[in-house]
Amino acid sequence: MTNHRILNSGEHGELRVHTHADAALGDAVMAALVVPDEFRKVQGEYPILFKRDQASGKFSALALFGFENGENLFLGKDGWDTRYRPLSLAIQPFLIGRPASGEGEGQVHIDLDHPRVAGNGEGTRVFDETGRPTPYLEQIARQLGDLDESYRRSADFFAALERYELLEPFTLQVPLSDGSQNSLVGFHIIDEGKVRALDGDALGDLHAHDHLLPIFMALASLSQFSELVARKNAGRAGG
Amino acid sequence: MTDRIEKLVIVGGGTAGWLAACVMAARRPDLSVTLVEAPDIPTIGVGEGSWPTLRETLRTIGIAEDEFLRECDASFKQGSRFDGWTTGREGDSYLHPFTPPPPGDMAALLAAWRQDASGLDFAHAMTPQAAACARDLAPRQRAMPGYAGALNYGYHLDAGKLAAMLQRHATSRLGVIHLRDRVAGVVGTQESIEALNLAESGRIEGDFFIDCSGARAILIEGHFGSGWTDLSHISFNDSALAVQVPVQPDSPIASQTIGTAHEAGWLWDIALPTRRGIGCVYSSRFLDDERAEDILRDYVAANVPGAAPASLTPRKLTFATGHRTQFWRGNCLAIGQSAGFIEPLEASAIVMVELSLKALAENFPATRATLAIHAERFNALFRYRWERIVDFLKLHYVLSERAEPYWTAQRDPASIPQRLADQLVLWREQPPSHWDFPQVDEVFSAASQQYVLYGMGFPVPPAHGTQPAPEALARLAEVRERTRAMVSALPANRVYFDALNTASPPEAAQGELATS
Repeated sequence: MTNHRILNSGEHGELRVHTHADAALGDAVMAALVVPDEFRKVQGEYPILFKRDQASGKFSALALFGFENGENLFLGKDGWDTRYRPLSLAIQPFLIGRPASGEGEGQVHIDLDHPRVAGNGEGTRVFDETGRPTPYLEQIARQLGDLDESYRRSADFFAALERYELLEPFTLQVPLSDGSQNSLVGFHIIDEGKVRALDGDALGDLHAHDHLLPIFMALASLSQFSELVARKNAGRAGG
Repeated sequence: MTDRIEKLVIVGGGTAGWLAACVMAARRPDLSVTLVEAPDIPTIGVGEGSWPTLRETLRTIGIAEDEFLRECDASFKQGSRFDGWTTGREGDSYLHPFTPPPPGDMAALLAAWRQDASGLDFAHAMTPQAAACARDLAPRQRAMPGYAGALNYGYHLDAGKLAAMLQRHATSRLGVIHLRDRVAGVVGTQESIEALNLAESGRIEGDFFIDCSGARAILIEGHFGSGWTDLSHISFNDSALAVQVPVQPDSPIASQTIGTAHEAGWLWDIALPTRRGIGCVYSSRFLDDERAEDILRDYVAANVPGAAPASLTPRKLTFATGHRTQFWRGNCLAIGQSAGFIEPLEASAIVMVELSLKALAENFPATRATLAIHAERFNALFRYRWERIVDFLKLHYVLSERAEPYWTAQRDPASIPQRLADQLVLWREQPPSHWDFPQVDEVFSAASQQYVLYGMGFPVPPAHGTQPAPEALARLAEVRERTRAMVSALPANRVYFDALNTASPPEAAQGELATS
C-alpha cells in the first residue's frame, strides 16, 4: 500500500521519520536499485548485478544483500554494518514526484503509509518548529536530486552495455559450509572478456560518455561475493 | 591466616554499599564479597542525580540500560540549570550541561562568542545540548545501542529502586553474599580489623572492609576514630526539606536538574517519569524550618501543574558538611556518606562513590604488605577531590550578586578557600583550563568551571588579537548546525519513556559482563 503526497510544511510540520535500520522499517530486502553514479561507493560493500525487466525489456542495476527474498546479510543487531547505503534505500520514505506532464522540476513526495513514517513522536523531524526544512530533509533533498539525475542518465549507460553486448547471463551456485546450496538465477553481470576485447574506438566512445568508470566498478564489485558468502555461512553457523 | 587479601566485607546496603558490591564483584572476580546490611535502617534517598560516569559503571557490572531505566523509574539528566543564582531577577538562568564546549583554545572561542552576532548565551553557543534541554529532549534515540548517546548524559533515578536492583544483580548474578544482620562489635586493632561480630550470625572474618554505613560510619569512625574535617565554614547549608510530588502522565520530563536559588539556600527539582523529587536546602543560621517549608510549598504550587502543595508532608534532613580526615585506615575504606557529605548542588555523591570504587578496583592491595602505601595514596587523592568539590560548589555562590544576608555572607572572603580565591584572580586573565585541573579523573573539569563562570556573567578575558580567529567562529557555526540536526532528530523525554514502557522487554535485557 502506498499513499503518496507532496511534502509541505503546512500538512507535515510535525511529521517525523524513523531513520535507523530495522527489518520492520523495510530494510529486510535482498537487493536494492543502484545508479551508475554511485557504483564507486557501492562496489566497496556489495556485489552489483544487472536485471532485465520482463515487461519493458530494459536493464537496471542492483546491489545484492542476500541470497533469498527478505534476506539482508548486512543488517545486524545495531543497524547496517556497512558504511554506505544505496540512495534508493537512504531516501525512503521519500520519492521524487513530477507534474503530470512528466516535465519540470522534481518535487519531494512522501509515502505516508511507509513504515518509516513515525506515529509516536520518535524519529527525526522533517520541518523544525518554524516550518523550515531540518538538516535531515536538506540531506534527503540532495540525495533525491542525485538519484533522480543519475537514474535519468542511466538509460544511456544500459543502452551502451547492450550496444557493445557486454552483459552476460549470470547464475551462481553458492555452496555453503554446511553442505547446502543457494543459487541465484535471472541476473546478468558484465563480461570481463568482452570488455578486454573492445577496440580503441569502442573504448573511446564509452569513455567519452563516462561509461568506463561504472563498468570497471561493476566488475570490481564481484569480489564482494566472497564477503556475502562468508556472512551467509557465519549466520548459519550462529543459529 | 594468609597474607593475601581475598575476602571483602562491605558494611551497609544503600546506593554506596550495593554499588561497591557490584563493582568489586564484577571487576575483581577473584575476591569473595559479602555485604552486611542492618535490617530496618532506612536509606537517606537524596542522591537521585548521577553523573555520566554511571553509564560506564552500570555497563561494567553487566546491567542493560533499558533494564536499569525501567526498574529504577529513571530519566536522563543532561546537566543542571541554575535559576535565580546571579541576580534573582526574572529570566536569571544558566545551564551547566554535561557535553563540553568544542575542543581547542577556549580563549579564542570566548572571543568569537563575544563577537558572534547570534546573541546566544554561553551554553547555547558552546553545545547543542542547551537547545535539547530547553525542549525537554532525550539525549539519545531508542534505536541506539545501550549507553550510547548523541549528547553526554547521566540519570535521574529512584535511589531506593537502584539499591534494590543492584542487590538483586549482586546476589543473583555476581555471587555476592548478603547478610541481613546488625554489626554488634568490631574485633581488631588500630592497624587492622580482623572480624565483625554480628548480632544474629556471630563472627564474620574479612581481609578488607568497606564502610558504607552512612553517617554512622561504624568502622572508619566507630572503630578507627579517623576524625572529621569540617567544611561548614565554607559550605553553609545544613538542612533540607524533601518531598516527592506525583506528576500527570503526559507532563513533560525536564532534561536537567533544576536548582533554584532562594533567600537563604536553593531548591532542587529532579524529574522522573512518574514523580518529581523537590527539596529545599537551607542554612539554619539564616532560615527557620517554617519559612523553608513555605518556600518549598510556594515552589511546588508555582511549578508542578496539578499538585496539591497543602497535602505534602516534607521530610526533614539535617547534615554535617565535611569529610573523614582519613578515608582509608589499615584494611578499611569508607565510601559514601561515611566518607563525607556536602549539599547535592552538583550531584557529587554518587560520582564520588564511583571514583572511590574505580580507584580501589584498579589499585587493590593483593597482600597486606601494600595496604599502607595504597592508604596514603588514596587519602591524598580524595582529600584533593573533596577540596575541588568544595571549591566548585562555592564558585556558584561567590559569583552571585544577590543581596540577602545569606548571599553576602557566602561572598565573605574569610569563607572562600585560598585556591578558589587565587583561581578567580587568574581567570580574569585566562579561562579555566587543564592547567588548573591537572589530575586524572577530575570531578569537575575545566569545562564545568567555564559553564558556571560564563553562565553567571564572569568577565571574559581580554582577547590577544583584535579579531576573533576564523577557526573559532567556524566552530561556533558548526555548533549551530549540529544544534539544528540534534533538535530535529531527538525525541522528547516523555515520548522516549512512553515508548520504552510500551515496548516489551527484549530477551537480551540481561546485560553482558564486561570482559575488561
